[in-house]
Amino acid sequence: MIKFLLKGILNDKGRSLLPIIVVTLGSMLTIFLHSWLTGVMGESIELSSNYNTGDVRIMTRPYANDKEQFPNDLAILESHGLVEELKKLEPQVEWAERIRFGALADFPDSLGETRGQGAVVGWAVDLLGEGSKEPQRFNLQESLERGRLPEKGGECLLSEDLAARYGVSPGEQFTLFGTTMEGGFSFTNFIVSGTIRFGSPALDRGAVIADIKDIRAAFDMEGASGEILGFLPYDYFNEEEAEAVKGRLNAAWASDEDEFAPVAQSLRDVPGMADFLAYSNYIGSIMIFLFVSAMAIVLWNAGLLGGLRRYTEFGVRIALGEDKRHIYKSLLWEALMTGVIGSVLGTVLGVTVVFALNSHGIDISGMMKNATMLMPSVMRPAVTPVMWYIGFIPGVFSMLLGNALAGVGIFKRETARLFNELEV
Amino acid sequence: METEQIVKLEGVYKRFPAGKTEFTALNNISLAFGKGEFAGLVGPSGSGKTTLLNIIGSLDSPSEGTADVLGKRINTLSHKEAALLRNMGIGFIFQTYNLLPVYTVYDNVEFALLLQKRGAAERKKAVMEALEWVGLTEKANSKPSALSGGECQRVAIARAMVKRPQLVLADEPSANLDSKNSHHIVQTMKRLNKELGTTFIFSTHDEKVMQYLDRIIQLQDGMVVNQTGL
Repeated sequence: MIKFLLKGILNDKGRSLLPIIVVTLGSMLTIFLHSWLTGVMGESIELSSNYNTGDVRIMTRPYANDKEQFPNDLAILESHGLVEELKKLEPQVEWAERIRFGALADFPDSLGETRGQGAVVGWAVDLLGEGSKEPQRFNLQESLERGRLPEKGGECLLSEDLAARYGVSPGEQFTLFGTTMEGGFSFTNFIVSGTIRFGSPALDRGAVIADIKDIRAAFDMEGASGEILGFLPYDYFNEEEAEAVKGRLNAAWASDEDEFAPVAQSLRDVPGMADFLAYSNYIGSIMIFLFVSAMAIVLWNAGLLGGLRRYTEFGVRIALGEDKRHIYKSLLWEALMTGVIGSVLGTVLGVTVVFALNSHGIDISGMMKNATMLMPSVMRPAVTPVMWYIGFIPGVFSMLLGNALAGVGIFKRETARLFNELEV
Repeated sequence: METEQIVKLEGVYKRFPAGKTEFTALNNISLAFGKGEFAGLVGPSGSGKTTLLNIIGSLDSPSEGTADVLGKRINTLSHKEAALLRNMGIGFIFQTYNLLPVYTVYDNVEFALLLQKRGAAERKKAVMEALEWVGLTEKANSKPSALSGGECQRVAIARAMVKRPQLVLADEPSANLDSKNSHHIVQTMKRLNKELGTTFIFSTHDEKVMQYLDRIIQLQDGMVVNQTGL
C-alpha cells in the first residue's frame, strides 16, 4: 500500500510538487531565520561580553552603582590579589583585569603643535603579558588595518576611523589627556603601533586600546583595575552558569563589610541585556510558531484544494470498500512522506545558504555609520546543531496538521450519496 | 432446483427528509436476487433505481424493512463492516468509470486487491487475468487518459471483477458509451456472468443493455411496478 501511495505522490504533481515546494521553502526559511537571529544576536552578545562585560564582571560596590560612568576613582585596589582569590574560587573561569576610561587624544603636527583633538573611549587590557588572551578576545590581529600590534610599553592601537580622521599613521605619537584615580589631570604620550577596525561603528569612531600597565601608570592606578572580567569556557553565553558563578561569588563576599568590597555581576546585569537575552531566547520559538502557523494555513489550504481535487478518488476508494479511517491514515502517510522529503530538501538548501553566508557575511557597515549600539558591522548566520533539525518541525508538523484538518471531510462524506456524486 | 439467494429485500422503505416533510424514495420493496443472475433495475429518473443500488451495495441502509446481502443484514452493519462487505463481496461499475487518473490501468485494477491485503504474486496473476477478460492486457501500463471511453469502462469492469466478487452493481454502465462499445461491455459482463457465476445487477434505461438482461425489474415512484424474466 505504501508503494501504491508513493506511486500516487510521484505521478500526481499537485499532490507532490506543490506541497514539497512549499515545505522546502518553509523549512529553508525557518533554518535561515533561526541561524540568522542566533548569529546576529549571538555576535552582539559575544561582542558585548568580550569588549565590555565578560560573562561575569567584578567591581567594587560603589563602582558597580555607577558602572556606566567607568568611575576609576572607585576602582579595585590590589586587584592582582583579588584575581588570585577568584582563580581559587572559580578555577574554570578565565579572569582578566581591565580599565575603561574616557580621555582626550591630542594629535600633534610635525612641530609638536596640536593638529587635532578628539574624545576617545579607551580599553586598558593585558596586551603584552605572556599567554594573555585579551588580544584574541578583541580579535586584534584580524582587525588590524595598518601597522602592527603593540610589542612594548608606550605603544597603543587606535581605531582606523579615528586615525584617518586626524591623519595619524602607525609610528606617530599622540598625547592622551585624562584623569588620575585621585581626580588629577594626567597626560601621557603614546606611539600608535597600528590601527584597527572593530567592525562596530560605535567603537570605530574613536577608540584606544593600550596595555593596562601603561594606563595604570598614566592614571596613577598602580595595582588597581576598574573591573575584573570573567570568561566562561563556552563558545556562547551560558547564562545559567554565569548566574551561578555570580551567585557563589556574591555569597562569598556578602559578609564583607568593607565599603569597597567586590561585587559580581553577570552579562545579564548590563542595562537592557536581560531583555535582549530574553528576546533572543524567545524569538526563535516565536518565529517557529509563526512559521508553523503560516505554513499550516498554506498547507491546510493546499490540502483542502487537493482534497477537493481528489474528491472522486476518495469516493471511489470508499465505494471499493476502503475504510474511511484507512483513507484518512493514508492521507496522513502521504503528508508525512511529502513533509519529510520537503524538509530534507529545505534543510539541505537552508544549511547551504547558512554555511555560505556564514563564511561571507553581509556587510551592513554602510547602514550603521551613526549607530551608537555595540553591534557587529558584518552580520552572519550562526552554524549551530539546531539548524540540522529545526526545519523538520514546521515541514513535517505543518504538513501533517494541514492534511489532518483537510482530511476531516473524508469522515463527513455520506456513502449514501456516493453513486450520485460519482456519476457527475 | 432453487438458486441460492444472495440479495433479499423485504418491505424496504427509504425515506429522505425534504424540508418539514419526507420524501419516500423506496416504497415497500421486496425483492430477491439469486446467485448468477443478470438482472436490471429500469425506470425513469427518480424512480428509486440508484437508491436501491445504494442499499444493496451497503452504501446506505433502509429506513424500514430488511436488506440481507451476501448473508449480512445491511440495517445493522457499522461503517467498517459495510466497507468490509463491499471490499470482499461487491464490485461497482459507474457510469463515468471513475478510474484513478494518476495510476496506470494495472494499478487501478490492482487497487481492489491491495485493500484485501493479498500477496504481490497473487495480485499480479489476478490483475493480468482480469485484464485478459476485458482484452486490455496490452494497455496495462497506460494511464486512463490514454484510453477511449469504452476501454475505460472495460478497465472499470476488470477492477470490479478482479477480486471475483459474488455481486457486481453497475449504475448506468453504458450511458457514456456509443452503441458499439455499449454492446461490447455488456457482452463482456454477460460472458463473465456465465463463466464466473457472478451476479450482476444493473441500473439502466438503455435498451441496448436491457436486451441482454435475464430479468428486468421496473421501478416507478419507488415501487416495483413490473418484473419480467422471473
